[in-house]
Amino acid sequence: MNEALTIQGLSYRRNQKQILKDVNLTLPDGQIVGLLGANAAGKTTLMRLIAGSAIHFRGTIAVAGETEVALRKSRVSFSTQLDGFDANWRVGQVADVMAMLFADFRSEDYIQLVSLLGLSQKQRIKRLSKGNQRKLGLAVTLARRAQLYLLDEPFDGIDVMTRKAMLNSILQWKPETATMVISDHHVEDIERLLDQVVVIKDQTVVAQEDADNIRAQGQSIETYFESFYGGETHD
Amino acid sequence: MEFDDKVPIYYQIEQYIDREIITGNLAPGDQVPAVRQLALTLTVNVNTIQRALAELIRQGILVSERGKGNFVTTDTMVIAKMKRRVIETELAKTYEHLAGLDMAPAEMVAALEAYIETREEGERHE
Repeated sequence: MNEALTIQGLSYRRNQKQILKDVNLTLPDGQIVGLLGANAAGKTTLMRLIAGSAIHFRGTIAVAGETEVALRKSRVSFSTQLDGFDANWRVGQVADVMAMLFADFRSEDYIQLVSLLGLSQKQRIKRLSKGNQRKLGLAVTLARRAQLYLLDEPFDGIDVMTRKAMLNSILQWKPETATMVISDHHVEDIERLLDQVVVIKDQTVVAQEDADNIRAQGQSIETYFESFYGGETHD
Repeated sequence: MEFDDKVPIYYQIEQYIDREIITGNLAPGDQVPAVRQLALTLTVNVNTIQRALAELIRQGILVSERGKGNFVTTDTMVIAKMKRRVIETELAKTYEHLAGLDMAPAEMVAALEAYIETREEGERHE
């Protein structure tokens, strides 16, 4: 089995503050992985580092065996790339820009995803509700044929019906051999989708476990997660 | 489908398919929906579905035909055996619950018979 992601001895400081320290993590191909941790535990920073949006770290990060930043970027589809878009763009225009930026972006997939998620091509980004912006972010992320997908809190502020549509898009569009990491601090959003769970606490990875192994011990994913935080995870 | 979040999901999917066969929603020889279709219907991971199907194939309840998909076995003995096992599991749970109430086996039988009788009467009056 090949490895979608290998991280060894990763430490990262910003403004004299330790954000991550000695992170070690290996994820195989073809899985959906929940990255769980309280707010400000370092989930987003870890994703930014993997995606190559943050540099100057210690240790090594390899995506599908590739450690060099530009090559890593070409293999990772990261959900917050949307942040760089002009708010005046229409949903449909996003496809043209993404196709220029990423060789693996499939405009036809994007168009299907957008309509599946109930967005209109003509809407301007700035007119989209928060929930619709999340959907757009998901469509942009899934329309690439990457080896590693990183979704940062994709269900934040999303209602139940929208969540269902988003979960279905993920199940339908993730390439079989690609791995997807989804960060969330509300485990119940994603627990049924997960092959395994990775817990971040105190700036590092403290646990990695197969989701059904956790359940086989009579524990829910939520209880398992909370056992690391002592019930302090809720906002 | 409702899932119990404290029981492995692949195991719950196995049980779900067992029940579909017992109730006749899936008949012997029927094709089981494709893996990705099942994943979408149940909103669970493709790997989890594959694990459940592999287990059912190992038990002989499903038969995999190369390039065609998975089918419910036409071996009625295998299905009858599975049905017996499912019923026994349910009975075991009920037995444990009643034994936990300090009931003796004879009391359980009497209580169950009385329960079925009043229940059937109730249904007749509906």
